[in-house]
Amino acid sequence: MEALFYNVDAGFLEGIVRGYKTGLLTQNQYNNLTQCESIEDFRTQLSATDYGNFLANEPLPISTSTIADKATQVLVDQFNYLRSNAVEPLATFLDYITYAYMIDNVILLITGTLHERDTHELIERCHPLGVFDSMPALCVASNVEELYHTVLVETPLARFFRDSLSAAELDDLNIEIIRNTLYKAYLEDFYALCQKIGGPTADIMSRILAFEADRRSINITINSFGTELSKEQRARLFPAIGRLFPEGNNQLARADDIDQVRGACEAVSEYRAFFDSSATGGAPSNANGSTAHLLGELDDGGVGADLEDRFFLYEVHLNKQAFLQQFQYAVFYAYIRLREQEIRSLTWIAECIAQDAKDRIHDFIPIF
Amino acid sequence: MTTAFKERNLLAVIGDEDTITGMLLAGIGHVERGKKNFLIVDSKTQVSAIEAAFQEFTERKDIAILLINQHVAEKIRPTVDKYQQAFPALLEIPSKDHPYDPAKDSILKRVQKLFGD
Amino acid sequence: MSGAGPRENIFPTRMALTNTKLRLKGAQTGHSLLAKKRDALTTRFRAILRKVDEAKRKMGRVMQLASFSLAEVTYATGDISYLVQEQAKSASFKVKAKQENVSGVVLPAFEVDRVPGTDFNLTGLGRGGQQVIRSKEVYAKAVETLVELASLQTAFMILDEVIRATNRRVNAIEHVIIPRLENTVKYITSELDEMDREEFFRLKKVQGKKKRDAEKADKLKSLQNADAERSPNVVEEGVESGGDLLSNRDEDVIF
Repeated sequence: MEALFYNVDAGFLEGIVRGYKTGLLTQNQYNNLTQCESIEDFRTQLSATDYGNFLANEPLPISTSTIADKATQVLVDQFNYLRSNAVEPLATFLDYITYAYMIDNVILLITGTLHERDTHELIERCHPLGVFDSMPALCVASNVEELYHTVLVETPLARFFRDSLSAAELDDLNIEIIRNTLYKAYLEDFYALCQKIGGPTADIMSRILAFEADRRSINITINSFGTELSKEQRARLFPAIGRLFPEGNNQLARADDIDQVRGACEAVSEYRAFFDSSATGGAPSNANGSTAHLLGELDDGGVGADLEDRFFLYEVHLNKQAFLQQFQYAVFYAYIRLREQEIRSLTWIAECIAQDAKDRIHDFIPIF
Repeated sequence: MTTAFKERNLLAVIGDEDTITGMLLAGIGHVERGKKNFLIVDSKTQVSAIEAAFQEFTERKDIAILLINQHVAEKIRPTVDKYQQAFPALLEIPSKDHPYDPAKDSILKRVQKLFGD
Repeated sequence: MSGAGPRENIFPTRMALTNTKLRLKGAQTGHSLLAKKRDALTTRFRAILRKVDEAKRKMGRVMQLASFSLAEVTYATGDISYLVQEQAKSASFKVKAKQENVSGVVLPAFEVDRVPGTDFNLTGLGRGGQQVIRSKEVYAKAVETLVELASLQTAFMILDEVIRATNRRVNAIEHVIIPRLENTVKYITSELDEMDREEFFRLKKVQGKKKRDAEKADKLKSLQNADAERSPNVVEEGVESGGDLLSNRDEDVIF
């Protein structure tokens, strides 16, 4: 049924997004980029792609962060075009995509307020996708209490805050815990929204979000080893969705080392491969080797870093699959994520060129 | 001079954002009563602000080593070259965007001079 | 000869000569000792110089690696710089100074004093935490290298200063103090010689005078003697005459 009327509202935008998607860099273009000797070359190569002359007006030398900023700006422009042309329920769906960035921005503002900084200068550090109209209002708040109430009143994030945090907690909890609590609430809410939309959107989005949730759970577990984060606190940060929920999450909550994490993920065949050290991670582990060689051994970083790369790889894979089906909203989400990944890859390549680290230049995640 | 350095146990940094972030990750950051032991220099930072920070760090009694990005040192080169004290030790370090150039280092310049004549 | 170079303003006596000679000897010993010290320091200095050079180059590589690891963090986590800046509270990475003694020069050396801090432990909790930890380690290692370099450099600066001072002293002793003392010795010696000669001359003069006086006296004496020689004749004559008279008288005396 939804396929029948889908195009009335969202057909145009889906077409646009699929158009944008073909603008993503191809393997061939990546190859050209990795051959560049300088950032100058890099810019020339990029101007032949869909990015066009986005760096043309930048004074030399171009820093890698400028490249990332400009590329993000391209993405933001595209997104804003989509957003302004969207009607319900796609509009809400797109809004939800921005909430993830909003969380980061609000966290940034909270950090600033906690340390009594002038929060106005923080605005420009915020991710442009997560900017919302009432953001300058947040800067007025001079203490955390005020900020909390402003957030509740002014921002779309109110429901995440209301359900999971109190004003007092905002003050004494570690900022990262707040971030992850919010993110958990966000993921769960987004998941619920997708279920409400139903149809193929729900199918595909729940797959992607489930992976996102699991990835966070696993990451939180691994990263909290040896920190002051207690197991109860850890368990509270796990989103209550995903393929590991609830059985795997329980195991993760109790895990003390990476082997137990692996055990928790045994149940899901796709995740099992992440921990299989001989599977896909030939290149990254090699690269780690060369770094470690220069600095003496840095043993514990290896597994986790590889894991992160594989997560990225799998995320790209899932997002690409989203394009295989028509008449659903997941393409919008997938496109944003793919574009983000591409920006990351571009920044990485630029970084490698700038820092003359050619041996690691191939460690990015190509999309096609 | 022989006893004064006993109390010096902090490091201070003047540099670009990435350098500072890295150094802070390593754990050298020290904020006491709002006074930081690091200064972030970006394209908007005034030279006078760098000079002031340089003076402050070199006059503080608890700083053992002052790290400064070479490209930042370049901006206040006369001050840096004039600096002759042993404490705090002044060290010019490379930054991400500016690879290390031994020819500009005020210490290495002296080394070269010593070898030269 | 005594006015050829600068000398100490001293009263040329035999006592002063002994003193100055002793000081000259002291200066010479001091010179050789300082020269030895300078050589030892210079050897050390050269070694440090080479190490500084090496370490500076190594630093370039290590820092590059470190900033690259930060790029990895940015890749996985996003921009964390602001969070990190705001979370910095108290230093967990400090240095401790210890001393090293090279030929009487105290060289400070910095030692890394790192307490395993819990700062930033939760940074990147949801994403990229491993990279953050890695980057932390890489940077800590890089800073260690920097600290090492800083101690070398401080040693370099101090040694440089001390060597200069020692050099100044060695040169001062060699080119100022020793010549001056030598000059003083020469001056005193010459002065003493001069005095000797004067004394001799004076003695000579005295002797001459004495001789002259003696001669004069002699002459007078001999003159007197001559007179006396003559007068005894007179006396004799007188006596004789007297005698004569007596005799004459005798002859003439009737009674």
